[in-house]
Parts: sequence; C-alpha cells; structure tokens
Amino acid sequence: MVAIQVDNLTKRYGEHVAVDGISFQVEQGEAFGILGPNGAGKTTTLEMIEGLRKPDSGQVHVLGKPVWPDPRSVQSLIGVQLQSTTLFDRLTSRELLELFARFYNRTDGAERAQVVLEQVGLVSKADAYADDMSGGQQQRLAIALALVHDPDVVFLDEPTTGLDPQARRNLWDVIRAIHADGGKTVVLTTHYLEEAETLCDRVAIMDESRVIALDTPAGLIASLGAEVRISYTEGGEERVAYAHDAQGAVLETLEAARQRGAQIDGLSVRGPSLEDVFLKLTGREFRE
Amino acid sequence: MTLSRIGATTLAQMKMMFRRRIVLFWSLVFPIILMALLGLLFGRSIDAGTITVIDASHTPASTAMVHALSTTKGVTVKTDQTDVTHARKQVQDGDRDALVVLTKTPTGATAAHLYYSNASATQAGIIRGIVSGASSRISVAATGTRPAIVFSQQSVDSASLNYIDFLLPGILALAIMISAVIGLSTVLVTWRKQGVLRRLKLTPMPLWEFLVARVAASLTLALLQVAVLITFGALVFGVSISPTAWAAIPVALVGALCFLVMGFTVGSLVAEPETADAVTNVITNPMMFLSGTFYPVAAMPAFVQTIAKVLPLYYMTNALRDTIVRDRGLMYVMPDIGVLLAVTAVLAIVSLRTFRWE
Repeated sequence: MVAIQVDNLTKRYGEHVAVDGISFQVEQGEAFGILGPNGAGKTTTLEMIEGLRKPDSGQVHVLGKPVWPDPRSVQSLIGVQLQSTTLFDRLTSRELLELFARFYNRTDGAERAQVVLEQVGLVSKADAYADDMSGGQQQRLAIALALVHDPDVVFLDEPTTGLDPQARRNLWDVIRAIHADGGKTVVLTTHYLEEAETLCDRVAIMDESRVIALDTPAGLIASLGAEVRISYTEGGEERVAYAHDAQGAVLETLEAARQRGAQIDGLSVRGPSLEDVFLKLTGREFRE
Repeated sequence: MTLSRIGATTLAQMKMMFRRRIVLFWSLVFPIILMALLGLLFGRSIDAGTITVIDASHTPASTAMVHALSTTKGVTVKTDQTDVTHARKQVQDGDRDALVVLTKTPTGATAAHLYYSNASATQAGIIRGIVSGASSRISVAATGTRPAIVFSQQSVDSASLNYIDFLLPGILALAIMISAVIGLSTVLVTWRKQGVLRRLKLTPMPLWEFLVARVAASLTLALLQVAVLITFGALVFGVSISPTAWAAIPVALVGALCFLVMGFTVGSLVAEPETADAVTNVITNPMMFLSGTFYPVAAMPAFVQTIAKVLPLYYMTNALRDTIVRDRGLMYVMPDIGVLLAVTAVLAIVSLRTFRWE
C-alpha cells in the first residue's frame, strides 16, 4: 500500500523555484531517503508533505488522505522531527513527551513517554532539561517527540546534521530500529551520501529543485554500469575512471601511465557509491 | 477532552514559568525589595509640611481658601508673615515648605500664587495638589454648582494615607504589569524565532489553546503576586489592609489580562526577542512614573494628570489602592475595571490582526 503519494509538487519563492514539479511514491513500511546538496529543495518538499508549507501546485496524499487544503486530517498519522527545534526550556524530556502525547489527546502519556525514551535510548536523560543535553541527545528527544503518538509515518529532516561521527552512528541505529522493529514508514532527508546508502530502502536524489534519480541504493549504483571505481592523482590532478573488470582496468591504467612516463599517486580501487551516481548525473562533485 | 488538554498545557506552562528563578525574582522578590527601599527612604507618612499663607486680598474666597488649607490634614498653615520677599526666602532656606499668596486681580477675582521648594519632589507635588485642589474646590463652591465636599475627600485622603499604605497597591500594580507584559511579549517572540510555534503547528492542538494556557498560567502568577505582596505588606510593613481587599482579586485579574494582551500585541509586532524587550521597556517605564505608582497623580501637574488618564496602569493602580487600603468595594472600582476591559478589547483586536505564527 502507498504511504505517500506526491504528484507534480511545485513551490516558488518569488522568482526562485524551490521545488519544480516533483512526483514520487513511498510504500508503507519503507525507509525512503531524499538525498541532495544544500538548497536542492529537500526540506521544502518535506514540509509540503507534512502540511507546514502550502504547495503552489500539485497534491500530496498521506495514507490516502489529501494533505492540502487541510493538513489537520493527516496530523495524527504523521510524526515530524524538524531540522531545528529548540524546545521549551525548564521542562524535562519526560514532561515534554507527556505534554506532546496530551496534544494528541492521548491519555497514556506516561507509558508512551517511557516507550519512546527506551526506543531512542534516552532513559538516562528522562528527567533532564533539554538545554542540559548534548546535541545528539537533543536530536533523539526531537525524534522521540515525533514518535510519542505512535504515528504510521515518520519524517526526519536532516536528523544527523551537526552531529559528530559517533553520535551520528548511534542515531542511525535508532532510526533503523524505528523502521525495522517499529514497522513504520520513515522518510528522511540528508546531505550525507553514506547515510542515505546505509539507512534507506530507496533514495530520491534531488538537485536544483528536481528529483534526478530514484531507486534503491544498489539500483542507483548499478545504473552506472560499472563494478569498480578507480581513482588516482596524476600531475596534481585527480582522475576517476569506472570499469567492469577491476584487475584489467588497474593494469591498463598503470601501463598507460608508464608509457606516458607519468607519475601516478594515490591509486585506489573500490566499488562505486552514490557519490559517483551524483557525479555522473550532474557532472558535479557532491559536496556534503 | 480539550479542557483536560488545556489543563495539562497550563500546568506545563506554569512549570516553565515558575522554574525560572529570574521570573520569580522580578515578579515577587523585587517588588518587596522596592517597597522596603521606598518605605525607608520616604518615611511612613506623607506630610505636606508647613505652608505660609499671606492673604492680601481679604475677599470671601480668600478667607475660604485659608480655612480650607488650615483644615486639610497633614498641612500646618502659618499666617504670621506679611512680607512676600521674606516669606519666599523662608521657603528657599527650607524653614517653611511652601508659600501661598492670595491677591485680588484687577477684575475682582482672587488669585492664589504658590511658591514651593523642589527639595523634595514628593512633598512639592503633594502641596501643589492640596493648594490647587483647595482653590478649585472654592471656585466650584462659589459658582454654586456642586457641594465643596467632593474634592476635600480626595485631597485629605492622599495626604493622610501612610506612605507605605499608599505604596503597596502601586507596587503591586507595577509588578503585575511588568510580569504580564514581559510574560507574553518576549516569550512569544522567542517561541516564534526558535520554531517552537512551528513545531506545535504539526500537532492537532490548536495554537490558541497553547496561548490560553499561557494566559492562565500568567493569571495564576498575578494572583500569587496579590497574595504574597498583601501578606508581606500587612505582616512586615504594617500596612492596614481594608476588609474590601478581596475585590483586589478581580481587579488584578482584569489588569493582568489587559497587560498580557499588551504583551501579546508587542509580540505580534516585533520579530526579535531583544526588540521585544526594548519595546516593553519603552511602554512600561513611562507608565510606572506617570500612573501614581510611587506618588499621587492628583499631586502632579495638570498635563501629567491628563496623560495619566490614558494609561491603563493608572486605572489598575487606582482600583487596587481603593480596594486594598481605602475601604472601597468592587462596585466603586467598576469604572476602572471597565476602562481596563475596554483597553484589553482594543489591544486584542489590533494584535489579532497583526499576529503571525512564523
């Protein structure tokens, strides 16, 4: 069953087209990633789906219900972690969670708070104020708040931005658990290629307000038609080549360089990644 | 369901409010410190002092004026001088507090000229109030339109109240105003800027509910201020609390509501928390000095009195003073409550038109 149906969604800010007629579907239970550089239109897209930003044209359905013109009809079905939310000071994690449960008219706030605190691994900080917690812990709290009313679809807008590598990996485990154990549909935006590759069943690559590719990470990489990526530096310039046969390609590269009398440094051979997909599609390097 | 949600939200708002020590300091501790300081500085009672009166006209009006001044409580009238220059010097040197010279004008009317020292602003103001009050009372009596008793009541009152009695309701009104204006302006702007309102918009709870909860929490704070300041005033400063003081509760609630809506208006119009603070100060500071908080408005120059009458704090201060220390009940202060409600309504209309969530 389709969890999210996006049809021809467009948003303009004056002259600037932030989102240019994009369409895609997210299946129920899927972990769906929207990957792209900063300014590609990811957050605007997400906010139109969440009901925060009104599209200029196009329609969004969440679990069969139209989000626009009245986003309230989907509010209790979705849980949202915004890119930056400073929450109230002087309320503890547990109090905040119970309050949010109450916003959804739930009377089991205390149990729900405990469940989601465990889910995001924040039980030890249950009675701490948000401003006394680390960036990673605050982000977990924001995710817990998105989960407290047990929604079917969870939106995470750049959940790991600004976190150190360790905190990022910890958060990945949390997101995997929400998706795998909780069975929820997860839609996340990210500008980390590795994050999209490791967390998402399918990835939509956005660039300059459009979706330029959409497939499983493996499918996107396979579309390159190459099994290996060979990179090296020659005369201070970085070169990249894609090939099917690793051994042959490496030998060929070295032989060609020897014949030219050129010096090759930093030769590396690995499987291609989403970074290569982006490079191939846009002709530009992906900058995180 | 919604009602219990508002209840839970109000409770959360109260926690957010009362857990901030700075809020408790400004709303409860600071007013007490201010009251103690002013009480110490200006003594226990307002004494207008000794006034020299030189009656050079000897008309019925001037005689009535001398009589009116001599019978005013808190004023000692001396008629032992005849030389205006010498009497003026006495005021200048601080031997006397003021000089009133009554002369006959070419048209046959009586002119009262007041010389006073600015050494004590409070005292000078009270003397001005008493003298101008007495003269207008006599003019009214002369034209025969009204009994003279109307004015004498008022002027006797402000002079005979102990200063600390006078001060307590003024400080209470001030404290409620400041807590209420800040309680909604800066907070609202900060919530908007930090994206809190945006996050709440994603939940099924309508945002007005969140604001209603905030207002309810702030009104609770106002009630706490009434209770704490009156108790403290009575027990520590020996303020004699009128039996009508219970009527201060509705006055405080309506006044707090008025200033909460004022804070909401500020919060609707500005974008930065710092700007909200500045605008709040620009609004509250003049009100604090012009509304009779520390000093009777009746004793201020006429143009200041005119300004005071457009300030909501003036009405709240008046009504609190009437109910807490002047023995006047709820019916007596209904006009003040009416003015506060009218201001609230106007501000509410303005703010709802300019309000934005993001």
